Amino acid sequence: MKKIIAMLLVGTIGLTTLTGCTSKATKEAATTESAVDETSKEVQTPAEEKTQEAEAVTIKVAAIETAYGAEMWTKVCDAFTAKTGIKVELTTDKSLEDVIGAQMKAGDYPDVVHLATGRPAALTETLIKENGLEDITDVLSMTVPGEEKKVSDKIAGGFTESSLTNPYNDGKTYMAPMFYSPCGLFFNSALFEEKGWSVPATWDEMWELGEKAKAENIALFAYPTAGYFDAFFYALLYEAGGTEFFTKATNYEEGIWDSPEAVQVFDIIEKLSAYTEKSVPSNANNDNYLKNQQLILDNKALFMPNGTWVIGEMKDAPRADGFSWGFTALPAIADGKDAYSYTWFEQMWVPAAAENKDAAKQFVAYMYSDEAAGIFAEAGAVQPITGFAEQLDGDNKLFYSIYDNGAKAALGSFAATDPVEGVNFADTVFGTVNSLVSGDKTKQEWIDSIKKDSDLLRAALK
Amino acid sequence: MKKSSKSIFLFLCVAPSFLLFLVFMMIPTFNIFRMSLYKWGGYSPDKTFVGFDNFVKLSKDMKFFQSFENTIFLIVIVSLITFTMALVFAAILTRENLIGQNFFRVVFYIPNILSIVIISAIFSAILDSKNGLLNSILNLFRDQNAEPVYWLGDQKIVIYSIAMAMIWQAVGYYMVMYMASMASVPESVYESASLEGAGKIYQFFHLTIPLIWTNIRTTLTFFIISNINLSFTIVKAMTGGGPDGSTEVFLSYMYKQAYTNSSYGYGMAIGVVVFLFSFALSGIVSFVTKREPIEL
Repeated sequence: MKKIIAMLLVGTIGLTTLTGCTSKATKEAATTESAVDETSKEVQTPAEEKTQEAEAVTIKVAAIETAYGAEMWTKVCDAFTAKTGIKVELTTDKSLEDVIGAQMKAGDYPDVVHLATGRPAALTETLIKENGLEDITDVLSMTVPGEEKKVSDKIAGGFTESSLTNPYNDGKTYMAPMFYSPCGLFFNSALFEEKGWSVPATWDEMWELGEKAKAENIALFAYPTAGYFDAFFYALLYEAGGTEFFTKATNYEEGIWDSPEAVQVFDIIEKLSAYTEKSVPSNANNDNYLKNQQLILDNKALFMPNGTWVIGEMKDAPRADGFSWGFTALPAIADGKDAYSYTWFEQMWVPAAAENKDAAKQFVAYMYSDEAAGIFAEAGAVQPITGFAEQLDGDNKLFYSIYDNGAKAALGSFAATDPVEGVNFADTVFGTVNSLVSGDKTKQEWIDSIKKDSDLLRAALK
Repeated sequence: MKKSSKSIFLFLCVAPSFLLFLVFMMIPTFNIFRMSLYKWGGYSPDKTFVGFDNFVKLSKDMKFFQSFENTIFLIVIVSLITFTMALVFAAILTRENLIGQNFFRVVFYIPNILSIVIISAIFSAILDSKNGLLNSILNLFRDQNAEPVYWLGDQKIVIYSIAMAMIWQAVGYYMVMYMASMASVPESVYESASLEGAGKIYQFFHLTIPLIWTNIRTTLTFFIISNINLSFTIVKAMTGGGPDGSTEVFLSYMYKQAYTNSSYGYGMAIGVVVFLFSFALSGIVSFVTKREPIEL
């Protein structure tokens, strides 16, 4: 008797081990069955309208949940289904890579993914490097669902020409631009009024202001994390040498880091790091960066590089009396030269391994409809649609009108390469700023490592 | 007949856990070794076999060596201090009659049940350069206007700050382990030692430590493994490997290469080195500390 019970128990343990496998298999079988059902239905009514036919298609959309929240995605997907009849299975998560990454490794790809470059898990970059993105150039000539206009007529100029949408520089678009935000320097405009300071228009004026602020025990500069130097650095490259120089530099051209323009950029960042509040590197990481942003709210530092999302991020933080957000482009290199503000935007893409590419492309096209843009704008996300920024109100109006007030838009990023083991260029270029501030590395050491990595990346260019 | 049915029974008993061990431990470990020979980003179907190329590159990667150095530093310093403190506290709490003994036992053990994220948050607050606990205490003894100590910003001391958090977290756990084995040492041994005129310190070194030696040996291996794993989580939550890579450890660098840098194969090569390193180190430690167990 005892033995039988023991045997039974062992059997149960054995079966439990296998439960994980079985339930998945049953689920799959069930889905196939229902899929068969749907196909047979289609066969029975072949002469139905196009929208009816499309109903059989369900696309899987995966979108990162950011400061804008996840609700807007649910609304947009519902509106899309209402408009086109294509059903949407939506996945949103704050760390989307963890959710879809494992599924993708197992061969289960979403049809549309909204996930920007520049995240620590670098899923988008990995797919760029591995040629895992679908060419969506044809989306630009598609008509926006529910409207008369073509997608290319609606997307604002310049957005589909940078390396952030055309990573291989071959004139083909692989990523659709989404939710843009001007980046520049944020400050407390009330403090400037109180002290009678004016916002510097050139870097020379910036250094003068730095001395004045120092006398008042205020640091000139602070940054949330060194990673925020990306937008800053790109805009500075544009200021130093315009589009041509930017393209050469971001394509790791030989000798570019020795050019007078590059020297100017390095000099400015070195000087700025000397004016940076000393406690910044201690908190310049993903868990404590809010303390660095707080320096601006507490009038302990004057400027910080950031994007428009910072307003929402710091909305509950305590602040100095009368605090009011100010925003400016980077000061110009010299009088009469152009000032630049980097345009940061997110990206939406279709994996090359997606199953329903046509429906997925329709979804991408729909993102530029007035309806979708309206839903996004309610949550604070602004689509790069021509003339759309004029409809904004409040703080956003001030920020998004920066380009109307004389600043030029800087777009782009370092060119995509095959992965080079051990070389993380963002860390080399931006991360080292922490060491410049703390004095652990000199400017020359910084430049040398940039040159070294640049040589390696040039050889691996796509 | 009876014998064979017994062995079937035993087989069935062992089979489930063996199956789990095979699927979740052996195969992944084997896969790490296999993947380290490929150039692969992690998602595409095309993997390129590159032989030992990843290891050759690794041998020239200075950032990897920095993470290696940091890991070894943490293993040595954290293990040494935790070991000493845990042993001394355990001896005091078992051998001496203190008021509130159980209270101390609980207090020391609490950090161990806290999540690493909470520990990191606590230490970020303690080590804050502007209004942190540590700098506030230091300011009592020095000029108020002096430059504060940047515990998490100064690249020369930030690794000690990480070590501090790790030690605080681990002491309680090892203390409880040592206390358990110290409790099994019979009181009579100490009594006769006292009669022979042996002092407390002499007893600690010549009775307590030799008698719990087997336990100490086991924990030494724990130290190595848990330090490699724990340093990753603490670093990730406290400094993110920064400032400028100065607190990067084995696993955080592996993560950075495998994911952020899209070099999955290279990351796995780092994994292989970590595996071999911890295996070898545990082996060496276990060999060096081998003693004949003392029987009373």
